[in-house]
Amino acid sequence: MHLRPNQQRRASRPMRLLVAASLFLTPAALASAPLDDEPAKEAESEEDKEEVLALKGGEIHTGLGGVLRDATILVRDGKIEAFGYDVDVPEDAEVVDVSGMRVYPGLIAVGSFGLFGSSGNLDDSVDPYNQNMTLALAAGITTAVDGNTVAKLKRGHVQGLVVNTSAFESLSYSNGNPQGQLKVEEDLKGAADYIRAFRAWEDEKKSNKEAKEPSKKGVDQKSVKILRGEVRPRFNADSRTDLLEIAHLAQRFGFRPIISGCREGWTVADELGRAGATAIVTPRSRRPKDESLLRDGGSSIENAATLYSHGVNVVVVPGSRGISLGGIVGTDLLHLPVEAGFAIRGGLPELAGLRSITIEAARVLGVDYRIGSIEVGKDADLIVTDGDLLHYQTFVQWAIVDGEIVYDKQAEMFFAHIRPRPESSLAPAERMDAGEEAPAEAPEEEPVEENPEDETPEEETTGGGDGEEPQPSEDPEEPEDPEEPEDPEESEDPDESSTTAGN
Amino acid sequence: MILSPLLLLGPIAAAPAAPVQGDLFVIKAPRVELGDGEVMEHAVILVEDGEIVTMGQDLPVERGIPVVELEEGQVVMPGLVNPYSRYGMLGGGYNDSRPQVMASAELYPSAAYKAFLENGVTTVGQYPAGQGIPGQAVAVRPKGDSSEEMIVEDGVYLKVVMRNSSSAKRNLRDGFKKADDHLEKVEKEREKFDKAQAKAKSDKKKSSSKSKATFTPPPADPRVQPFFDLREGKLRALVSIRNAASYAHLVDAIGDEEFEWHLRIPLTRDIDVFHVADEVGERGCFVLMEPLITLVPGTLRQRNLPAEFERAGAKLVLLPRTDSKAGFESFLEDVGVMIGAGLDRKAAVRAITHNPATFMGLGDRLGTLSEGKRANLLIFSGDPFQPDTKLDAVMLDGKFVSGDMDQ
Repeated sequence: MHLRPNQQRRASRPMRLLVAASLFLTPAALASAPLDDEPAKEAESEEDKEEVLALKGGEIHTGLGGVLRDATILVRDGKIEAFGYDVDVPEDAEVVDVSGMRVYPGLIAVGSFGLFGSSGNLDDSVDPYNQNMTLALAAGITTAVDGNTVAKLKRGHVQGLVVNTSAFESLSYSNGNPQGQLKVEEDLKGAADYIRAFRAWEDEKKSNKEAKEPSKKGVDQKSVKILRGEVRPRFNADSRTDLLEIAHLAQRFGFRPIISGCREGWTVADELGRAGATAIVTPRSRRPKDESLLRDGGSSIENAATLYSHGVNVVVVPGSRGISLGGIVGTDLLHLPVEAGFAIRGGLPELAGLRSITIEAARVLGVDYRIGSIEVGKDADLIVTDGDLLHYQTFVQWAIVDGEIVYDKQAEMFFAHIRPRPESSLAPAERMDAGEEAPAEAPEEEPVEENPEDETPEEETTGGGDGEEPQPSEDPEEPEDPEEPEDPEESEDPDESSTTAGN
Repeated sequence: MILSPLLLLGPIAAAPAAPVQGDLFVIKAPRVELGDGEVMEHAVILVEDGEIVTMGQDLPVERGIPVVELEEGQVVMPGLVNPYSRYGMLGGGYNDSRPQVMASAELYPSAAYKAFLENGVTTVGQYPAGQGIPGQAVAVRPKGDSSEEMIVEDGVYLKVVMRNSSSAKRNLRDGFKKADDHLEKVEKEREKFDKAQAKAKSDKKKSSSKSKATFTPPPADPRVQPFFDLREGKLRALVSIRNAASYAHLVDAIGDEEFEWHLRIPLTRDIDVFHVADEVGERGCFVLMEPLITLVPGTLRQRNLPAEFERAGAKLVLLPRTDSKAGFESFLEDVGVMIGAGLDRKAAVRAITHNPATFMGLGDRLGTLSEGKRANLLIFSGDPFQPDTKLDAVMLDGKFVSGDMDQ
């Protein structure tokens, strides 16, 4: 792989203190593609050239249902130019061998804070070296909403981040505020009347040139936009009654609401589905039902699944929109894919789980024409993972925004040492698999055979639960590996009894 | 080799440290740090009128010239240059763009400047206070009875503060934009003038040939002039940045504009500028930092950023860790610590003498010890960077101004 000069720099910086030797090993060792024999030399001249990046040999998950194994993605000037099996990789392309890994569209967080260092006019105030931005990239997030601005996590850049400055058009429609509800209804009604009058005028205009255009006076323009379908309003609602009323309002006026929260959505999923709603949910939110009510209520792990099965588009956000390493670890933005994984645990189909943090999120933000899936012509916002994105063991190995590698796990200090990439200087001489703990136990037998079997019970559980074989840290370049995991369970168990007992 | 064309030869042993009289004398030093990183042993320095006339190794000295004979172990070094200080100045500044403000206007001689001399600083760059674009700095010689006597050179750099904010970026952009506006205005005036001239000519074709009016462009707003100076290379900018991001914003704000700019990167708190070290190094600009080890923000990983920037190709200038007497006192020791932590020793010497002088455009006058330079030099009891070394004497323009080596 050829890192362009500035990436190479960035890559080397944090490592310098750790292991001096790793400096040059990393880029060199990655260059496994036949085209690049002299990474250093090419890196020099790279800057003047058109920027072409090729991810070779990965399992491409388009985010729309398609999965292409051992395929190639070609990125030119920040856009996806081609992907598939018969892609011609130009000679000057920067090639990253991602065989054995998976390529997904970059994730989208529909709410965030602190990723850009500050809010407001991001072009003038973003901190593109902000640690939280790196961590979010490590979580696979390449686009996030800050305030009401949709922006990309373009590390090291202060320009070209902003995708859309008005992410949402918020409306408040809650039982707790009847006055407000009344106002919303009146506004919508006024807007509906106006639109009707406007259409009538348009018709009449053809025959009668004198016809007067209906006055916009007193008509709420936001409501007009909503009813014309130019924007979709977003509501914050959790309780069943609020959700029902929003659904009815939407059906009455004919717009498709976006509902943030939607905790009790599973109790009225059919209504919401009929209203064409999109729900932004947090699968792990926990709230008991109001015991004074007889009907169903409270949160449910099945919320996302139920909503989805009734035709509601589901977008997932974690419980906390920031990156916090203390306190509520596990429910912050770093765990966006894990959060989506919990929706799957509750019954959401896997593809819908992936879509809930990619294309569906792009849709509610109105930016799905550019990002959210792997399609030719879309922005090359991609992540390369070492396993199933929605599995908790999976790490993002590379994050790519607009065709530029902005995150490389092996080059950042956060996760480089955890299951390092095999070609990294940090990697142990003997490879270990995910979840494996004790290389010390191995020496009695052949270490290579031993390791894959050291799997702790967690590994088995997940394998069963997911119906997938993530094998996250499988080394693509070593053919022996895939064979190993098959028999070992039986023969090894006695040896590992100590490990197993611990669990 | 002859010491001076005026004085004829004669390899003569030096007289016992005679008091320096008149304005011609010789310093014989066992070891001289030249300031550019090189060292000269057994150096003989001939000083006349506060200027180094000749210097070389083991030069013969004419009888009768007073000689300051240094002891074995003593080291001579150029006077330190601190290009970024407000010590001895009062008051705060504003938060907007005032590029026309001159720090020299607030300069006044005071006892405070003694602190520089006592610690070996013989040239100081003093900048105006404030955020935004507070104004232009002045190079000062920390001795004198009037500010005129102290000023070495005025307008040595324009201080610019860059932050991750639209207002900071606007200050810079607007400055150049106003310069453009002014040019446009001048152009319009000129056209008007030309038209008027042509008209006048045709009107009184025969009668008048007396008045040859010349076009005088409208004067530039004093706030605009510094930006013209920047463009024309008459002025350089020193941009103070807060972190790697503000460097990115600086580059963004500058856009295609071309002018000389250098960086002030405070290391007084943990900072992530290592992200841009190579970019800065490629530019090869001067980088002003404190001799401090910092941590990668949010971690306990130490970094020697001065060494990193120096290695990357930036021209390093080291400043005292605080702009105070305490900072001046521990300065050389702090630099010594950085050398211990991996900073190249030669680079360290340059970073406190030659580089800061060159940064202020005074490199041809001071900052190194060679022919034609001011005799601003320091005499140490040993290696300047060792903590137990004493600063025995400070010479400013050929006169001892501090230390025990009185004459």
